[in-house]
Amino acid sequence: MNKSLLNLTDALGINARRLPVAVLAAVCAFVISGCDSPKPIERNATEFDLVKTDDANEDIGTYILPQDTSILLEPNADQIFYGKRLLNETKRLLPEYVGAQMNCNSCHISQGKIPLGDPYINSFNTYPRVMPRAEKMVDLAGRINGCFQRSMNGKPLPKESDEMKAILAYMEWLAQKTSKNNMVDISNAGKVDESLVGDPVRGEVIYHVQCATCHGNNGEGIKDSRGDIVFPPLWGDESFNIGAGMARTYKAAAFVKYNMPMGIQTKGLWGHGNVLSDQDAVDVSEFFTHQPRPDFPGKVNDWPTGKKPKDARY
Amino acid sequence: MRKWPLTIGILGVGGLALAFTLGQVLPHLRTTTSAIEVNINDPELIKKGEYVARTADCVACHTTLGGADFAGGLPMLTPLGAIYSTNITPDKETGIGSYTFDDFNNATKHGVRQDNSALYPAMPYPSYQIMPDEDMAAMYAYFMSGVKAVKQENKPSEMPPILNWRWPLAYWQAIFAPEREFVAETDDAVLARGQYLIEGPGHCGSCHTERGIGFQEIALSNADSEEFLSGAVIDGWRAKSLRGEHDGLAIWSTAELVDFFKTGRTDITAAFGAMAEVVEHSTQYMTEDDLYAMSAYLKTLSPKPGEPVTVPAKVDVTTQKLMDGDYDSRGAILYAEYCQVCHRADGKGVPRIFPALEGNSAVYSRDADSVLQITLSGGRMPNTKHDRMAFTMPEFINLSDADVAEVVNYIRNSWTNQGSTVDVDDVVQMRHFLSKKPKTGTDVAPDLSVPAAEKRSQM
Repeated sequence: MNKSLLNLTDALGINARRLPVAVLAAVCAFVISGCDSPKPIERNATEFDLVKTDDANEDIGTYILPQDTSILLEPNADQIFYGKRLLNETKRLLPEYVGAQMNCNSCHISQGKIPLGDPYINSFNTYPRVMPRAEKMVDLAGRINGCFQRSMNGKPLPKESDEMKAILAYMEWLAQKTSKNNMVDISNAGKVDESLVGDPVRGEVIYHVQCATCHGNNGEGIKDSRGDIVFPPLWGDESFNIGAGMARTYKAAAFVKYNMPMGIQTKGLWGHGNVLSDQDAVDVSEFFTHQPRPDFPGKVNDWPTGKKPKDARY
Repeated sequence: MRKWPLTIGILGVGGLALAFTLGQVLPHLRTTTSAIEVNINDPELIKKGEYVARTADCVACHTTLGGADFAGGLPMLTPLGAIYSTNITPDKETGIGSYTFDDFNNATKHGVRQDNSALYPAMPYPSYQIMPDEDMAAMYAYFMSGVKAVKQENKPSEMPPILNWRWPLAYWQAIFAPEREFVAETDDAVLARGQYLIEGPGHCGSCHTERGIGFQEIALSNADSEEFLSGAVIDGWRAKSLRGEHDGLAIWSTAELVDFFKTGRTDITAAFGAMAEVVEHSTQYMTEDDLYAMSAYLKTLSPKPGEPVTVPAKVDVTTQKLMDGDYDSRGAILYAEYCQVCHRADGKGVPRIFPALEGNSAVYSRDADSVLQITLSGGRMPNTKHDRMAFTMPEFINLSDADVAEVVNYIRNSWTNQGSTVDVDDVVQMRHFLSKKPKTGTDVAPDLSVPAAEKRSQM
């Protein structure tokens, strides 16, 4: 009996007489390892490089993506929060200006804070600028109204309204005092290979596997119990009109590839995107963009000198 | 005086040796031999065994993320170090290929290995021990003939020396897992079947019953005590109470339970964490009859003693405030920024896509571990053939610990929810725990490709 015990302890390299010491050591090791008390950590804020608009290579500092709680520090906090809410719930709060079942942030992922997800981060400093579609100077309010009339199939919001001022205030806050001749080094949209030709038949198969759960078998979207939009309709009378960027195959594909679906990744604020190949994205976009949708009467003024992109709808 | 240490030493060594010897004998008292001749090539028996193995969810613990089915290697973190599940494929050298039916039966039901040493109670043999030998025979046929042999050595445990001795486990078994037969609570065949599945192969108590000082489940059946299935914390998840109180299954209907076991979701909630694994690997494959039997049985369990069946009515003022932009706390601002787009102003989410936070018993349940863990690490619903897509919750790992506490407290106490509150230290502890926890299948994003969808629909 003793022999087998000693064999065992010998095998373990432990002297049987020192068992209590060994046990004590093991317990101590456990207690110590269980007692390294970690400290609370602060927010790990997303940071992007700042660059000069005329020299993208010059390193001039860092942009820190703000959290909404810091809006409270601003003198016009109420206005900024109002702007944020208007962007999130445009249809519910501004029904007379929004024709479609869409909100600004249906396309601007996570309140315009995500690169490749149509962020507003640089918007305040980018406008006014010459828009390729209008071929003339457009200011930020004018650009926002482009969305109201096209993507949201509605009416322009008066530039002097409290609502437009609030939306601009949110975008100004999001710019975080980045100076006018600097910009945050991010892309607003991702890239897809525009030489690919979309196959709408294959696109429809992908649509039913990966999109229809939220956007509906007939593209009708989903509303909540109050009738407010959760997932916007992708075609039909309540969707964006043909003047919207999202109605163009390659613009839609670039959005879909990097941002859709949501709630399918464990990373990213919406857990979104990055499951489709370029071809998948072009196919599914070819399918849904070309479904029936409202016309856009203002289309006659677009690309006045004829420099139309190849996926323009008119 | 000088002789005392020597005497104590001799007595100690002698006592230890006696204990060790008895420890060698104890397993022999547990093992059984069976007269059953198992035809491991009988296709019907193999098929039956596959179903029994599904109900017992063997694959969940005996497979690693990305590893071969049943080849083992999954770490189970204990306070004393990790132990690893073993290779139960029919490989003769590294698996259980050399096991006779009796060896298999004794390991599975009695926790005694082929070499007569005791298994760690991480293996739920105290539950499995009520399974009939006929079912074990079917399972044996499946493991010998229906499972692909994989050559993969078992990993040694990381328990420190002495604490990794196996013979003391024989005493654990003698004290905490004595011989037990299944005793039906009623004559109702459906309820009895449900009770058997819950108590036996389903080993629900492994997670949902509190453990005692010896790491034993404090009740193995409802007859033992009303602590059975009354909720516990395991792997940083609150495995909720399955009894009749408000925090338990009071607000669940039998039909909702069936839907949950089958699809991993209802209109209100979704399985996450360890339960998502259970649905994905086990319950989604069970027959409608068995799912109904389990659900109906669970609904017969009385409330945990001292716990209320209902809570005082509370008026929802949260929804209107969020809709009006009346952010009355830091938690509200955080909710509006990070959570509201999916879980909505009314906290009701979107049925079968985004789970509700309002009126969801997993959210307001007694402690906040599950809410803390899923907020920090995200997760995904189980994949089943019943829904086209399995959705995820993204990790909010970049939030400060203080803000996670704010938003979790907000969620657990908004709308009509009435939960306890957490403090920053709870978040710190959970984040620390998660930094060491291995990833599982439902921690990673689902495969959304068209071929994967086709495969799923054929399951």
